[in-house]
Amino acid sequence: MTTNPHNPNLSASVPGSAEETLRIVAGLPAPAGLEDRVHVALREAHRHNLQRNMDGVEVDRRGRVLAWPTALKPQSSWMRTAAAAAIVFVVAGGGWGVYTRVEQNRPAKVLVMPSRGGFSGAGAIRTPQTIPGPVAPPAAQAKAAKKPTGKVGTKAASRAASKPSMIGQPAPQQ
Amino acid sequence: MMSTSQAIYAGWMEITDSAVEEAARRRAEDDALAGLVDQYASSLYRVAYSVLRNRADAEDAVQETFLRVLRHRASLGEVRDHRVWLIRIVWNIVLDRKRRAKTRPETDDVSELARVLPSTGLSAEELAAAAQHHAHVLACVEKLPTKEREVLLLSAFEELSSVEIAEVLNITESSVRSRLFRARNLMASLLDHARNSK
Repeated sequence: MTTNPHNPNLSASVPGSAEETLRIVAGLPAPAGLEDRVHVALREAHRHNLQRNMDGVEVDRRGRVLAWPTALKPQSSWMRTAAAAAIVFVVAGGGWGVYTRVEQNRPAKVLVMPSRGGFSGAGAIRTPQTIPGPVAPPAAQAKAAKKPTGKVGTKAASRAASKPSMIGQPAPQQ
Repeated sequence: MMSTSQAIYAGWMEITDSAVEEAARRRAEDDALAGLVDQYASSLYRVAYSVLRNRADAEDAVQETFLRVLRHRASLGEVRDHRVWLIRIVWNIVLDRKRRAKTRPETDDVSELARVLPSTGLSAEELAAAAQHHAHVLACVEKLPTKEREVLLLSAFEELSSVEIAEVLNITESSVRSRLFRARNLMASLLDHARNSK
């Protein structure tokens, strides 16, 4: 059984003994000279950020506050005027460039719409579909001409043989 | 074309009084940072060690913490509570290190644990037994879910209140309490289970 030699009573309350262990670990002293070593590391890192200029003086590599010469300071009136003129020039020039490059408007095509609504024909002309004409079998005609039978039948047969059949309908069988 | 540095050296651009003020400000920031090192390096080491349980790694984590602070020293003035802020930084660093490097903690070794733990008034045998017990407890802590383990580890620091733990972990205070409650129950069951199986 696991017991805690530091405090035997703690073994009864298990989480308590666990927390005591954590507290001991959390309370371990820091190694000697830790602060000094951190200071050295910081100094090294700081020196890394520095560089020497031409005169051998260390200057910070990161940022620098610079100032314009008095004559070129943005606060001077003529610099302001020049800056305003430059802005106007750039804006006007840009506008002119856009204006000259844009294509002029062309007259639109007018389509005549039907007066009663619906879709326009757009000028299309309707061409009717052509249907292939009837083809009469030549053999049936020849047979009807050779064998006339009866008065009524003879007339009808001869009429049928001389006339073409209705469009799209087969010729009557003999 | 003339570069900025060439312009400075040629005298065309000049370093003004504001640059001197900037240098003075940076010196003040350096002094403040040095003060933070002296004041909190030990606390940060203990936080780092409680997670990593490796002396060299914990010391590296502390150095990395202050290097981060050095990079962002301009924002030092905006920090309300430097201690909690630094603990939060070192906490994130050690968690990140633990995730990346799956190295075995030194204190999993019982003999190493016996060496680092306080040994006042204990015989060699008692010390060995105590180290074994602590090693067993620490192994159980490692088995806890991450959220519960984090709260339990931070709660071991007497100088951290539940409000400060909540601030370090970026959660609410009630979450800290509920996680701590779950962690204690889980630890109890883990230790009971281990005791019954023996």
